[in-house]
Amino acid sequence: MILKTKNLTKSFGSRKAVNNLSFEIPEESIFGFLGPNGSGKSTTIRMMTDLIRPDVGEVFIQGKSVQRNHQKALVNVGSFIERADFYKHLSAKTNLELLARMDGKGFDNIPVVLERVGLSDRANDKVKHYSHGMRQRLGIAQALLAKPKLLILDEPTNGLDPQGMKKIRNLVRELNNEGITIFISSHLLDEVQKICSHVAIIHLGQLIISGKMDELLSESELFTTELRVNPLEKAKSILESQDWIHKCDERHGSLFVNVSPDKIPEITILLIQNECMVEAIIPKTSLEDLYLSKTELGKSQN
Amino acid sequence: MLRLIHNELLKIIGRWRSYIGFIGIAILMPLILWGFSYGGGEIHDEYIKQFGDSFIVVGSIFNAFLATYIMMNAFWIHIPFLVALAAGDAVAAEGAAGTFRIILTRSTSRLKILFAKLFATWIYTAFLILFLAFMSLGIGTLWLGSGDLVVFDKGILILDQSEAWIRMALSFGLAILVMCVVATLCFMFSSMVNNGIGPIVGSIFLVAVGYLIMAIPIEMFEKMEPYIFVTYFDVWQQAFKDPIPWDRIGKSLVILSLYTAGFVGVSVVVFLRRDIKS
Repeated sequence: MILKTKNLTKSFGSRKAVNNLSFEIPEESIFGFLGPNGSGKSTTIRMMTDLIRPDVGEVFIQGKSVQRNHQKALVNVGSFIERADFYKHLSAKTNLELLARMDGKGFDNIPVVLERVGLSDRANDKVKHYSHGMRQRLGIAQALLAKPKLLILDEPTNGLDPQGMKKIRNLVRELNNEGITIFISSHLLDEVQKICSHVAIIHLGQLIISGKMDELLSESELFTTELRVNPLEKAKSILESQDWIHKCDERHGSLFVNVSPDKIPEITILLIQNECMVEAIIPKTSLEDLYLSKTELGKSQN
Repeated sequence: MLRLIHNELLKIIGRWRSYIGFIGIAILMPLILWGFSYGGGEIHDEYIKQFGDSFIVVGSIFNAFLATYIMMNAFWIHIPFLVALAAGDAVAAEGAAGTFRIILTRSTSRLKILFAKLFATWIYTAFLILFLAFMSLGIGTLWLGSGDLVVFDKGILILDQSEAWIRMALSFGLAILVMCVVATLCFMFSSMVNNGIGPIVGSIFLVAVGYLIMAIPIEMFEKMEPYIFVTYFDVWQQAFKDPIPWDRIGKSLVILSLYTAGFVGVSVVVFLRRDIKS
């Protein structure tokens, strides 16, 4: 494990932003970190990078405590937190030089990271003349400057157009292929599902679910499957009479049933035996469903 | 550490507020020197009329040394404001710009970053006072010429030219140390907030309160005076006494150092415990 959080807890006044949060990030994974607004994602990421001090708990990176040994713990970490803010009156190159001087690793990597994010030809322009997308890319460049083994990206595609998002997605994959572990927080569930090997969902400051993306998507019994059948009403009454079907709703001329993916063949047989015509079965086992079901569940539990 | 100080100096150079003090001095000093050269003859004649029977004055008593001495007395209350303009931004500007997120997440300790900022602020302060010295003494010498320094302090003290240079150097050296205390006070406030204006206002307010306490002749205030750091701000004037009261200078510097250490201590505690939420 490259990163491990242990019982992280943080309150702001009477509000508990993060509550006893523990999870682990495997090496060389792309780890998606999800949660609704106000769920404690940003606070967690800031505790991981030592911007915020936890009330209780610790973060360990490569076995070193971020809270007790900031310098050694963060030596192989690059991070992009929330927004790409720089010294706007300085050029991109000078900004990176300032940061490289802090890292104590020389300026050799500056042209490399600028090339990597496609900003080589604008390196000498002042950051105040950069577009939002260019600043986001420069944000990733500064995170790569110290040749990190763990890259923490908090909403890196925020405000980017589809092309910009695709570039970032491809870059994340490339970096991961080179052995860099990526921790990525995003609201774009489709993006996360496309690139992440692991995922954790937090809600109201608590961990709801964490694990390998494939396993989580196949194991859950709460996924929705869309059925296009005829006649609709008859099919609905047949399915509703089955105790292994959790829920069956009619929407937009289709039936949406909550059922484990391995039960789908049984549904097909059942409907055909009862002389219903099955036009299409569309498993909706997306990350979005998992996310919504888990955060809704989290809400109801709280 | 030198690398970090280099970074902080680059940031100070990049902020427009850092130049206000230099621009102000660069505009005001020649104007004042011009005023002195214009009306200096009258002052010289007045002095000669009063003291001509007792002293033989060679050259003009109204020279760069006296002009500098008068200006330092007149501007001493205003210089802290110029110092605070840059010191107020030292830490707070990073919070306002959101750049803490890129510097505090690197493998450099907060303590090192804080001290680099503090040292850079002190270097800036020293340069500002040295610039004041250059503009008043340097330009003043070219404009008004040099000569003996006549100082009025419980009588008349006349320092010959070579001694006057030494006393001026000592005086500006002490002035740098005093202004570093103001800079550190402002730096302390800067480490607490995300806005550069608050620390400037806070520091100037405290300095003004100190001067008020010293100015109002109430017994209670007089008792407070030894404990107020502003009381020791005039330590630079001790350089023009004869003999130089080293014990008084030493005591003032010890007390100012204790205040500085206190301000630095508070900055360290606040900054190390601070949550970066913006």
